[in-house]
Amino acid sequence: MSWSQAILLARGLSRGWGSICGAALTGAPFSQVPPQAPRGLQRSAATHSSDSSLVPRPPEPRRGPIKALAPHEELFEQAPGGERDKASFVRTVQNFGQHSVRKRGHVDFIYLALRKMRHYGVERDLAVYNLLLDVFPKEVFRPRNIIQRIFVHYPRQQECGVAVLEQMENYGVMPNKETEFLLIQIFGHKSYPMLKFLRMKLWFSRFKNINPFPVPRDLPQDPVDLARLGLRHMEPDLSARVTIYQMPLSRDSTAGTDPTQPHIVGIQSPDQQAALARHNPARPIFVEGPFSLWLRDKCVYYHILRADMLPPEEREVEEIPEEWNLYYPMQLDLDYGRSSWDDYQFDIDEVEEGPVFAMCMAGAHDQATLAKWIQGLQESNPALARIPVVFRLSGSTGELLAATPRMEEPPPTPRQSQDEEENNLHQQQQGQS
Amino acid sequence: MALVHKLLNGTYILRKCQLPSATSRLFLGPQFADYCSSSLHKPVAVPDKGGSPQKTERDLQGHHQREVALDITSPEENPEVSFDKAIRDEIKEHFRRLKDDFVNHWIGPEGRPLHEILLEQAKVVWQFRGKEDLDKWIVTSDKMIGGRSEVFLKMGKNNQSALLYGNLSSEAPQDGESGRSGYCAMISRVPKGPFERKKSYDWSQFNTLYLRVRGDGRPWMVNIREDTDIIQRKNQMYSYFMFTRGGPYWQEVKIPFSKFFFSNQGRIRDAQFQLLLDKISSVGFTLADKVDGPFFLEIDFIGVFTDPAHTEEFAYENSPDLTPRLFK
Repeated sequence: MSWSQAILLARGLSRGWGSICGAALTGAPFSQVPPQAPRGLQRSAATHSSDSSLVPRPPEPRRGPIKALAPHEELFEQAPGGERDKASFVRTVQNFGQHSVRKRGHVDFIYLALRKMRHYGVERDLAVYNLLLDVFPKEVFRPRNIIQRIFVHYPRQQECGVAVLEQMENYGVMPNKETEFLLIQIFGHKSYPMLKFLRMKLWFSRFKNINPFPVPRDLPQDPVDLARLGLRHMEPDLSARVTIYQMPLSRDSTAGTDPTQPHIVGIQSPDQQAALARHNPARPIFVEGPFSLWLRDKCVYYHILRADMLPPEEREVEEIPEEWNLYYPMQLDLDYGRSSWDDYQFDIDEVEEGPVFAMCMAGAHDQATLAKWIQGLQESNPALARIPVVFRLSGSTGELLAATPRMEEPPPTPRQSQDEEENNLHQQQQGQS
Repeated sequence: MALVHKLLNGTYILRKCQLPSATSRLFLGPQFADYCSSSLHKPVAVPDKGGSPQKTERDLQGHHQREVALDITSPEENPEVSFDKAIRDEIKEHFRRLKDDFVNHWIGPEGRPLHEILLEQAKVVWQFRGKEDLDKWIVTSDKMIGGRSEVFLKMGKNNQSALLYGNLSSEAPQDGESGRSGYCAMISRVPKGPFERKKSYDWSQFNTLYLRVRGDGRPWMVNIREDTDIIQRKNQMYSYFMFTRGGPYWQEVKIPFSKFFFSNQGRIRDAQFQLLLDKISSVGFTLADKVDGPFFLEIDFIGVFTDPAHTEEFAYENSPDLTPRLFK
């Protein structure tokens, strides 16, 4: 007990001594002390260090929903007239250096700048993070002797440096050589920010390219391009063709006479085309949707054209004729004597569902739009004209509220829904004939 | 006897807290049990089994009934409460399990002949073919710590797969200490033997985890937790990522066990160790990709198999910069 007390005392003393030295040198440690609590030099140094060693606290307890004006807020307000971009952010950070040459309160400023980065749209910019780290005074926080090296030297500043790196981590920004150079210059080799940097360097490179279905960082703004990207993303068959059935027409170009025309983009692979041609016209096929697909932080909705699974008695097994090739037998009925040690199949019946014939993304999720898609599909699939198409849409309008569109069935009562489906079916058949 | 039962129940609740999740240390409390999926689904499982033969045909009526039955417990499902009977049944059940244990041990490990187990190359561990399969899982979200995410688990439309769905919200709880939030998780229950003795899975002859899923393009994290009695190790787990493709097709995810990295309390450790497969207690899926909105994940089954082409033992080397003590 007494031993631990002695340790604590020693830590407190060394911190106090360190911060007093630091105060004498730069006045930097007082940046952490809130300005509304003016205290004497000796006392503030001592209390500050002692409770920091005992109670692990977040670096700025004052952050959060309380709308207190943070120090240096005025620097960001001075950013001229409305536009918030990288240039104005960089200017603000540089202004801070000119504003206070001794860089008093730079820790507060960096925390504030980290919070402001999202508003300026620079949260993924490595150069800006390096610029922020550059705000730290150099060579001041490096430990100079063994005692300082053992105990955390300038803990608040190190925490702030770790916070910068942590925000980089959250936004997936990989630090570079310049970051490393800055960190070594500011905190030295054996410091917590440097440790964080090493960890990031190690793990970011390991996990950078593990996604087998990569999505570009910047998604296209144009809905047609986005739909094309989403459909290509979902379709495993690379020979599938994307067709734009209808380009979007905005209300301005048609001068209000025409209603807005949503875009319709579809995808179909040759195999799906062949399967649709083989489909038994007596069995209806279904337009289902909308289902959600996430491309990074963007949610798009798609519809599929599918059939129900065939009952087992109607499934025809495709047989290769025996005498197709005289030299090489097409079928081998040899029993290789595979025993259970060579059985890599799971002992389970996988979930089977009916075949998917096509997918589409449209600007509106109503039946009229999707009927246009079916009409467009008929050009490349003449068999579709004979097959009844039933619309099973979960939402009536473009607004999607269902959390799980796959599971939602529209009808309030089942009887009514069947009527609706029959109506749809009739409509569709009338439209075709 | 009643006292014994109470004791057993007590330990049961306490053990539940040790289930894996990125932030399970926050759930220390008995209210954890309230949010389990089983408490919702259990009473419904019995009546529904009788009336669900229409599987293949998409009968809207049947589906509708099932949907309703999920949410509300039907009124006739309120049996008379008798503590004596419940205790008697519980004790009977435990003794039955104990007897099974002894008998199975006589046949072979896990109640199957030894040669069958030794030659097995692929094994289905969890499948979803009925309501009772859902009871092997727990769903949690950051509601436990005051967040706004919600997650539900139910059987899919054709009653052949599990559907995990919900809404992710990364709004941090206003409790003064949490800065970030937003996760949803699905965790398998620790298998229990007689008298709530915890058991574990032995997957040491397999080297790859296999999942047949269908998602909506969101990345998930697969967490595997080792069975341990050491209290300091209860927050340790091994994780890797599962990327879903999205779209209407089922997707086969194969993750070699060598890819799983080691973490403690949600932080990757500097010193990485290989996942040892002889005592696996549970597997979990976590969604925390900081994107607010609805999500779903359909799971057909989860299995383990041996991939003879995969020879890697562990994917991550240790760095001498971070862990110098391993290189002395």
